[in-house]
Amino acid sequence: MGGTFFRNLNRNKAMLLMVLPGALWFLCFSYLPLVGTIAAFKQYRFSRQGFLYSLVHSKNVGWDNFKFLFSTDAAWTITRNTLFYNIAFIFLGLVCSVAMAILLSELVNKKMAKLYQTGMFLPYFLSWVIVGYFAFSFLSLDRGLLNHILGSFGGKSLQWYSDPTYWPYILVLVYLWKSVGYSSVVYLASIMGIDRSLYEAAMIDGASKWQQIRSITLPLLKPIIIIMTLLAVGKIFYADFGLFYEVPRDSGTLYSVTNVIDTYVYRGLKTTGEIGMSTAAGLYQSVVGFALVMISNFVVRKMDKDSALF
Amino acid sequence: MSNVQVSGVAVKTKKRNFQQITKGWNVIFNLIAGIFAFLCVFPFLFVVIISFTDEKTLATDGYRIIPAKWSLEAYRYVFQTGDTLLRSYGVTILVTVIGTIVSLIMISLYAYAISRRSFAYRRFFSLFAVFTMLFSGGMIPTYIVVTQLLHLKDSVWALILPLAMNAFYIMILRTFYLTSVPDAIIESGKIDGAGEFRIFLRLVLPLSLPGLATIGLFSTLGYWNDWFNALLYIDDPNKVPLQSMLMRIESSIQFIQQNSANSSISLAALQSLPQDTARMAMVVLATVPIIFAYPFFQRYFVQGLTVGSVKE
Amino acid sequence: MSNKKRLGATLTAVTALSLVLGACGSSGSNNNAASSASGSSSSEKPVNLIWYTIGTPQKDVDKVMAEVSKYTKEKINATVTMKMIDWGDYQQKMQVLVASGEPMDIMFTSAGGFDYVQNARKGAFLQIDDLLDKYGQGIKDTIDPAFLSGTKVDGHNYGIPANKELPQLEVWRFNKNVVDKYNLDISNVRSLESIEPLLKKVKENEPTFTPFVMTKDYVPYVPYDYLITNLPMAVKLDSPDHKVVDILETDEMKQALETMHKYYTAGYVAPEAATTGSTTDLESTGKWLLDRAQTQPLADNVWSASFGFPVVSTPASDPIITNTSVQGSIMAISANSEHPEKAMQFLNLLNTDPVLRNMVDSGIEGVHYEKTGDNRMKNLPESKNYDMPSYSLGNNMLLYLNENDPDDKWEQFKKFNASGVPSPILGFNFDTTKVATELTAVQNVKEQFWSSLMTGTVDPATYLPKAIQQFKNAGLDKIIAEAQTQLDAWVAANQQK
Repeated sequence: MGGTFFRNLNRNKAMLLMVLPGALWFLCFSYLPLVGTIAAFKQYRFSRQGFLYSLVHSKNVGWDNFKFLFSTDAAWTITRNTLFYNIAFIFLGLVCSVAMAILLSELVNKKMAKLYQTGMFLPYFLSWVIVGYFAFSFLSLDRGLLNHILGSFGGKSLQWYSDPTYWPYILVLVYLWKSVGYSSVVYLASIMGIDRSLYEAAMIDGASKWQQIRSITLPLLKPIIIIMTLLAVGKIFYADFGLFYEVPRDSGTLYSVTNVIDTYVYRGLKTTGEIGMSTAAGLYQSVVGFALVMISNFVVRKMDKDSALF
Repeated sequence: MSNVQVSGVAVKTKKRNFQQITKGWNVIFNLIAGIFAFLCVFPFLFVVIISFTDEKTLATDGYRIIPAKWSLEAYRYVFQTGDTLLRSYGVTILVTVIGTIVSLIMISLYAYAISRRSFAYRRFFSLFAVFTMLFSGGMIPTYIVVTQLLHLKDSVWALILPLAMNAFYIMILRTFYLTSVPDAIIESGKIDGAGEFRIFLRLVLPLSLPGLATIGLFSTLGYWNDWFNALLYIDDPNKVPLQSMLMRIESSIQFIQQNSANSSISLAALQSLPQDTARMAMVVLATVPIIFAYPFFQRYFVQGLTVGSVKE
Repeated sequence: MSNKKRLGATLTAVTALSLVLGACGSSGSNNNAASSASGSSSSEKPVNLIWYTIGTPQKDVDKVMAEVSKYTKEKINATVTMKMIDWGDYQQKMQVLVASGEPMDIMFTSAGGFDYVQNARKGAFLQIDDLLDKYGQGIKDTIDPAFLSGTKVDGHNYGIPANKELPQLEVWRFNKNVVDKYNLDISNVRSLESIEPLLKKVKENEPTFTPFVMTKDYVPYVPYDYLITNLPMAVKLDSPDHKVVDILETDEMKQALETMHKYYTAGYVAPEAATTGSTTDLESTGKWLLDRAQTQPLADNVWSASFGFPVVSTPASDPIITNTSVQGSIMAISANSEHPEKAMQFLNLLNTDPVLRNMVDSGIEGVHYEKTGDNRMKNLPESKNYDMPSYSLGNNMLLYLNENDPDDKWEQFKKFNASGVPSPILGFNFDTTKVATELTAVQNVKEQFWSSLMTGTVDPATYLPKAIQQFKNAGLDKIIAEAQTQLDAWVAANQQK
């Protein structure tokens, strides 16, 4: 048994050497810190003997730290909002970025394509605080551009920051605006990696551009699409804090459509700052994400072995 | 070829259309991409305009596309801090360059190994990476590892190492290897008697340039935009990167607003925090260099493409 | 299956490694402790104190601390290293530093940044009752006793509060230009209702003005003291019964909210007040009449200077000494300090010795400032590299006066402090451990309703009952009951004494 193991090691020597730096990194930066998850079941108290000692010797509280995520009226709202927004983001984000990538790859003038793409990248650099200012310059009740336009057409000014009706759309649009340029790069790179001879062969067979996209580009993009989607599914219980906090300017009347798990945890723990409770929230998000990835990976594996994550 | 000859002229014009989309579609595509790109650029232009707006005018009129009064005051204020800003640029550039190189090496090796079917432990190491994406131990344990195990406090490596690996990029690159590097090439290398590392360097890397450029770009952006590691690990004001400086100002302004009821804090904070325009000027200064670096990466997409077709 | 096994093996390895890591960490600190103990017994080597404080990091901190160290080495055989953490980062960074056991001796804490009571209860600070008796006699003699008694947590002291303004006093702050232009009489102004004619007059004459300026953090003043800032549990001032109530159900608050809504509908308040974070832009333009602020002696001068036009203020409440006002600035000794005794000696010196206190505040004499009189000073141009927030660095009343300060500045402060009336719950700190779950929910409900109700944006007739109900659903009653139990016990214990 042991002999096979060592023979195996030897045979894979080169490969093992390749993963070694990365594996060590994961050990240090990802696995060692996992010890901290114990805090989710503790009422963490400081002591002079350092973190680990304090962690072990803090009072055990079982599942108490998780209660605040489930026991209240808001639990349903935040879970629903987090899930639905993320599903919308995954789906629409995918469609838009793939479409944008294909579109850019087909432009006749490559210089222009380059210019457009550089432009689309810019939102990625603006912090959510700045995006929040920018949204405000559009939506402000008395000084905003939109109300100004509405007014000049004789319309009535809208109370954007106190009417929840429009916010699901606003949030989705802002998300797409900020992310499509960035995420389309991955797809664009994959499209560029596709062997040109495939298209030439298709042309000779008389396939139209649309047929080429449908039967060459998209199928070849499938693995990367699946990977990106699976990865996003793992993050489905995490919400982008800045988007849901800064862009609606933390307006209370909008909470029914803007409160998500991350903002709820932030607001709830502002005064007490219990390490145990914030760890519990993180653990809850991870476990759900993990389960979902496992399930979807299993499904993908059943359909197409090569596209699965692992 | 024979088909084309038979069908004659009509098909010939059509043949040209196979390579390119029709003129009409090209216009529509240009319009879509152009409008979206403009929508993306516009806020940034707006930020540039605000940074050149007179502070008083901003207070009375709010944000305007064409302000009543222009001013260079914001930039004068920012450059007043002179060497601090330059040093921050230095730190950011150093961290970005070294960080991107380090992470490209680590990620490409790891991803390559787990993309190889002949690697007996590929499934284990894939899982080993993916698992880290889903669980995190939190800030405090990570802080302890970096400061007490690796002793990196106040070192630029504390800005580089925590971002060096990323399971997400590994999985993207692994997929890229799987789809764009044919097994036949690796097999041919083996037949020639090349070692694994040699095969990787000579045969696989050139084929995966677009993938590497993508990851490199992401990693560059990640390093350029990172502020959180500096918040945790850097106390020395000479080692604070640009984005971190920016974030410190943002969060300090928010803190002071939230505590404005406390007379001590609001009086203490009257010591000059930068105004709106100066903050915008800093955003501009922090973003412009990376925009210029972008075309550099884009060239690699194209190059990777040509290399790929030559190989074929 | 085999994969699972391997994963299990790795996890075991990880745990083992982390135990090793933990062992390393603790053995390391033991060594330090041992060496420091031997160091102090031989009384040869000066001890270095690490001091974390709030504020934008200043260029010359190390330079000034070198000078400070020279002085303290002579006095108490200790040197000082100061680490400044910027305003917005302080809370988060201190939490990580303290939790991870970063070496430190002294740290700034307050009601609004790295919360004093919460962290004292979590064990971040050293309990200093004995140290204070032994080395802190100077502190006890100089600073207002209300500070020390008000910062007790569960009967013990965990930090040295800065001697400064003691009570909090709400004022109406007026833009004097507008007051003069329309010849407004502000002498009879005090209640929320009393400002109405002034607002009306300004709105009629200057339609583009915002007569009543406020941010989303505005709360109409009612004579109650909150158990936790801006959460609805409160106790009525000047009432002996110590009853915890939901502030939204009190008549005073109901009336105030109705008035606010009236003002909002009349256009006295900015339409987006409920989401406005900052009003400094608006106020610097001068297109406003009044707002509400917390004052301290001579604040009008500072405000006028910063706006660039004259500002006057009149009281909107009595000066009240509350937990929040007492806990505005505290310096605590870290629970993991290796040199708690030296730290206490240093704090004692800082709070009693004008030379040290002014050096920490203004820098090096002749470089950052120069003395122009016995207790007067003038900043030199170099002071831009060492511009410190005075309130967070200990006893304020030792500070030299600035050029424009009146001679009796600190006398005015003392008089102001003497005028303060203690809140009935001064010194009572609600322990929220048992209701932590309910508190997170209540906090979220608060964020949802608070701003729009308090700024008058919504009609209290329909929204107030809704808010009250939501608070109840979130478990406010349980919190109030728990608070009442603790408060009763506290009252009983205090009356025995």
